[in-house]
Amino acid sequence: MALEGVGLIAIGSGLAVGLSAIAAGIAEKEIGSAAIGAMAEKEELFGKGLILTVIPETLVIFGLVVAILILNLAG
Amino acid sequence: MSMPYEMDRIIVTGPKKAQQKVIRELHNLQVLHIVEHSKDEVADIGQPLETASKLSEFMVKIRALITALNVKEEKSEFKLKRGLVEISQTIKRISDEVNKNSEELREVEGKLSKSQAIMKELEVLKNINIPLENLSSYKSLAFFTGYIKDEYDLEYLNDKLSATTNKFTILKSTVKKKLFLVLFVDIKSKETALDILQKISFSPVNFANLSDLKGTAAENLARISKENAKLENQKNSIKKRLEKLNYDHSGFLITAQNVLETELEKAEAPLKFAATKDAFLVKGWVPTEQLQDTMQKLNKAGSNKIFIDHEPAKIKDKVPVKLKNTKYSKPFEFFINMYSLPRYKEIDPTFFMFLTYPIFFGFMLGDFGYGLVSFALFYFLKKKIPKWTAFFNILLLSSAASIFFGFIYGEFFGLEELGHFAIPHLISRSHGVTELMFISIAIGIIHINWGLIAGFINIMKGHGLKHAIFEKGSWFVLETGALLLALSYMNLVAIPKLIGWIFFAASLVMLYKGEGIKGIIELPSILTNTLSYLRLMAIGLSSVSIAVVVNEMAEGFFHGGGFGILTGILILFIGHLLNIVLGLFGSFLHSLRLHYVEFFSKFFEGGAEKYKPFGAKE
Repeated sequence: MALEGVGLIAIGSGLAVGLSAIAAGIAEKEIGSAAIGAMAEKEELFGKGLILTVIPETLVIFGLVVAILILNLAG
Repeated sequence: MSMPYEMDRIIVTGPKKAQQKVIRELHNLQVLHIVEHSKDEVADIGQPLETASKLSEFMVKIRALITALNVKEEKSEFKLKRGLVEISQTIKRISDEVNKNSEELREVEGKLSKSQAIMKELEVLKNINIPLENLSSYKSLAFFTGYIKDEYDLEYLNDKLSATTNKFTILKSTVKKKLFLVLFVDIKSKETALDILQKISFSPVNFANLSDLKGTAAENLARISKENAKLENQKNSIKKRLEKLNYDHSGFLITAQNVLETELEKAEAPLKFAATKDAFLVKGWVPTEQLQDTMQKLNKAGSNKIFIDHEPAKIKDKVPVKLKNTKYSKPFEFFINMYSLPRYKEIDPTFFMFLTYPIFFGFMLGDFGYGLVSFALFYFLKKKIPKWTAFFNILLLSSAASIFFGFIYGEFFGLEELGHFAIPHLISRSHGVTELMFISIAIGIIHINWGLIAGFINIMKGHGLKHAIFEKGSWFVLETGALLLALSYMNLVAIPKLIGWIFFAASLVMLYKGEGIKGIIELPSILTNTLSYLRLMAIGLSSVSIAVVVNEMAEGFFHGGGFGILTGILILFIGHLLNIVLGLFGSFLHSLRLHYVEFFSKFFEGGAEKYKPFGAKE
């Protein structure tokens, strides 16, 4: 039983990171392609493009925090 | 804290007669960022100097020669002794020679490609032993040349033709595993032969290039290959001559190109000026510290016939920006150039990045071994690619920080102990995850507040203290409120919870006054921004985890002995190489992102034009 619990906790934290990473990936895909398109027209937009592209990345960080919290819960 | 250089707006006017001297002096001084005049009712733009058309003509020729001779841009040690006269004479001489040789080359290459086409056709006829002149039209005879499938079809053809006529001959040979045949047949039976051929899927071949040739194909082939060898020789010798021309003149060509570029820049400068029939006017920006010197020198060059007006730049002007940084923080201007230049009188974040960028990078990569490897790699690359020195200096500094943090974490290629010797550490990344989380958040809070303070100063300078308090001060009030609320709810301080809420409400009102509804919407961003600094811990954790996994995998193989040891070494090498590459990319980008997104958004607006003085080279 105890082992099973540990396994479920591990799966839970894995899902927290994995799913949020997929979500961030989908979001960044859209923004990134638009940003590259804009950059092709106007190279100075690199800075702005980069910033907009990486904004969803914070999702993964949140996922990671949740994962670590779950793992801590397990002790 | 650094600011861009102070600038002065200057206007130089004078009679057309002085124009050329003024341009020459300006080009020499390399201080004036010219603001281009656009045509209006008062004045048109100027005409280029008389020499411009001649110069561009030379330029076109030089560029054509550089392409024709395939000259690579290198440092050339060539001295022009007689300036433009020498350029024009030498260009003519080289052009003639190059043109002659190129033409010969084209001719030889044309001949070669033609005889190659002939040879291709002759190859097919090589084993057919008849003179080529036989393959021409006759009155009483028809002939077919082409491929058929196999011997059975040949027999079939033979039988069928024999049935109608006995006046025919078939010659055959195998070409590239296919059966090639030449069929001569009485003209009367031509139609019949054609019918039969069509039935056995005959694919005809035409010999368009052979009409002038006499003798057998094999004889011709031998003759033409001999001729080709001669042509190849000729081609090589022409190429060698061209190479020699390249070797002899590349120095001159590159130098002449550079000289012409500068002369052309001077000659075309009036296009940026305002001009009337007899006078010209230049507007532009000069760094304040060079203003007096510039004015003096310009007046001298214009023999005091010109008039110079100047005034200090105002904050709302569109001032071109020249960054001012120390030798050590200068490389970090690379990041600012990539992002956007600070506006005039805005804080230049280069120095801040110099302080924090390597720390963040090192915090994430944080491994003594990885730091050493990347330091060596970037040192090598810096020597190899001098153009990117600034960029590699940043990375070298960051690698040094990684080595430093490697000591703090006590990590060497992911190992926390070497043999049985435990490397001393202040904090362990693989075990002290929670501690590292708090440290990361703490770094985030410090960094963001640092940004807010810088933003406060920026706004105070630009719009006054009141704006600054509402727009940026409100965030400090918000933080105080949040802190008080947290402390009082956790019963750590004995103050009423209401005080915390009052601070909180006050900050909302201030934000609304300062930035409108946008400020309220941005409220949660302060939380996400702070949490974003958790990546400092997260990237490092993933890097150390991969390293540990690689080490454990390799260790398993080492216990196997023999062949296992080799496999283990291979796993160690590939695994750590991959992890270093991943770690470098991750640390580089995320450290940059923390600055660009979380830090810069607190104070930096940017968007200024770069200061490009007339006459200066990139």
